[in-house]
Amino acid sequence: MAILRHLSVHRVRVLIGWLGLIVLSENSVPLVAQAVGRGGAGLVAKSDSGSVYLPDAPVPAGLAGRDSGSPAGETGFSSSAQDAQQQDTQQPDKQQPKRGEQTPQTTPGAPSLGDLGLTPEQTHGDTQQQALLDKRTEMLKIHQRLGLITIIPVAAACISSAGAPPQRNNPGSTTSRDVHVALGGVAVSMYAATAYFAIRAPRVSNEPARGGIKLHKYLIYIHAPGMILTPILGAMAFNQANNGEKIHGAASAHSAVAWATAGSYVAAIVAVSWPIHLKF
Amino acid sequence: MKNRCLLFFILLTLPALAQADRTWILDQSTLTYHMSHPMHEVDGVSHAAKGKGVCHAGQCDFLLAVPVKSFDSGDSNRDLHMLQVTRGAQFPIVSVRLMLPETRLALPTLYCDLEVQFAGNTAHYSHVPFTQVVEGVTHHITGTVPSTLTDFKIDPPSFLTVPIKNEIPIRVDVIWHPS
Repeated sequence: MAILRHLSVHRVRVLIGWLGLIVLSENSVPLVAQAVGRGGAGLVAKSDSGSVYLPDAPVPAGLAGRDSGSPAGETGFSSSAQDAQQQDTQQPDKQQPKRGEQTPQTTPGAPSLGDLGLTPEQTHGDTQQQALLDKRTEMLKIHQRLGLITIIPVAAACISSAGAPPQRNNPGSTTSRDVHVALGGVAVSMYAATAYFAIRAPRVSNEPARGGIKLHKYLIYIHAPGMILTPILGAMAFNQANNGEKIHGAASAHSAVAWATAGSYVAAIVAVSWPIHLKF
Repeated sequence: MKNRCLLFFILLTLPALAQADRTWILDQSTLTYHMSHPMHEVDGVSHAAKGKGVCHAGQCDFLLAVPVKSFDSGDSNRDLHMLQVTRGAQFPIVSVRLMLPETRLALPTLYCDLEVQFAGNTAHYSHVPFTQVVEGVTHHITGTVPSTLTDFKIDPPSFLTVPIKNEIPIRVDVIWHPS
């Protein structure tokens, strides 16, 4: 009897011991998303056989590059396009995230954007706002291009202004003056077109301007009235000169206003590019 | 009999203790992107990152997220242009995920495999070194993510028809603490 009792006690001990070992060993079974014996930080998305695939596990760069056969692996980087292509071919049923939504890939138990206190409003994209930004950029690009091109007729008008006043030896000749008027007209027209694209560009932020753009905007208060005043004063001066009169009154300010306008215009271009660090 | 029961419960409790989750919280962050152009050198800074790490069964998952619009380059026009180019209204968050074995969390140099989601694309950077200084319970981590525009299929913006450099390294300076 004593032997039987001793045997049953021994069995219970062995059983408890085995139970404990089984329970303990449960946690050390490698997860499918983990690779055993692989170097690095141990990030593996799929098994080498290629048949087992975790949809949300990240792909290490080397593996992704090797699998795709692209040079991405050499650079230690793989783009999502490759990943998406791979996933498309291997998982035809997997739904692609909707455009405009950020759905980060997560591993089970990993923190999500919601865990960080970010609300869906903060994480979800706004395609309308993006379209507005795209339109703004497109219009401001045209504004920039036209603005730079406008420098040419502005400079030409400034240079040709030397021949605009009535010449002492040939007071009847108006050719130089006409050329100046034409160049001035082109400059004002192009300036108006440039301004149009800046004014019509959609406003996407109500925050006050910071940086070089601030001075760029302040200078509008000089060159915009200047661009209106210059041709008016120029027309007055043109009529006085054609009538054989000496330029007098407000018309005599034409030159000064024009130079101030041209100066502030160039300053506005420099301001929006400031600070400049030339490095070639 | 009492001893056996005690042993049995200890054996049952041990795995549960081993699985106890440990959470890491991001205290402070400074993320800086650097943009280079023959005429401009620009740094855009954000302090608005949020982060969390969860350690489970010896493996830690970290997530760091930052709104694209929170980057400030000192010029509001440039920031809005950056937002447009990076499709920041459509994909407003930059998120970085990484996994580390819990045993490596205290090492002075952390080599991380990063998964970065930005501008609607995902890029992976392997073996990125980060320097770590542990002061009490805080872990001060610094490093640079060698990101490029092509990694995220971003068309390089240009100034005077000259595009910016493809490289936009992101300097990371973060302080974590376990909760």
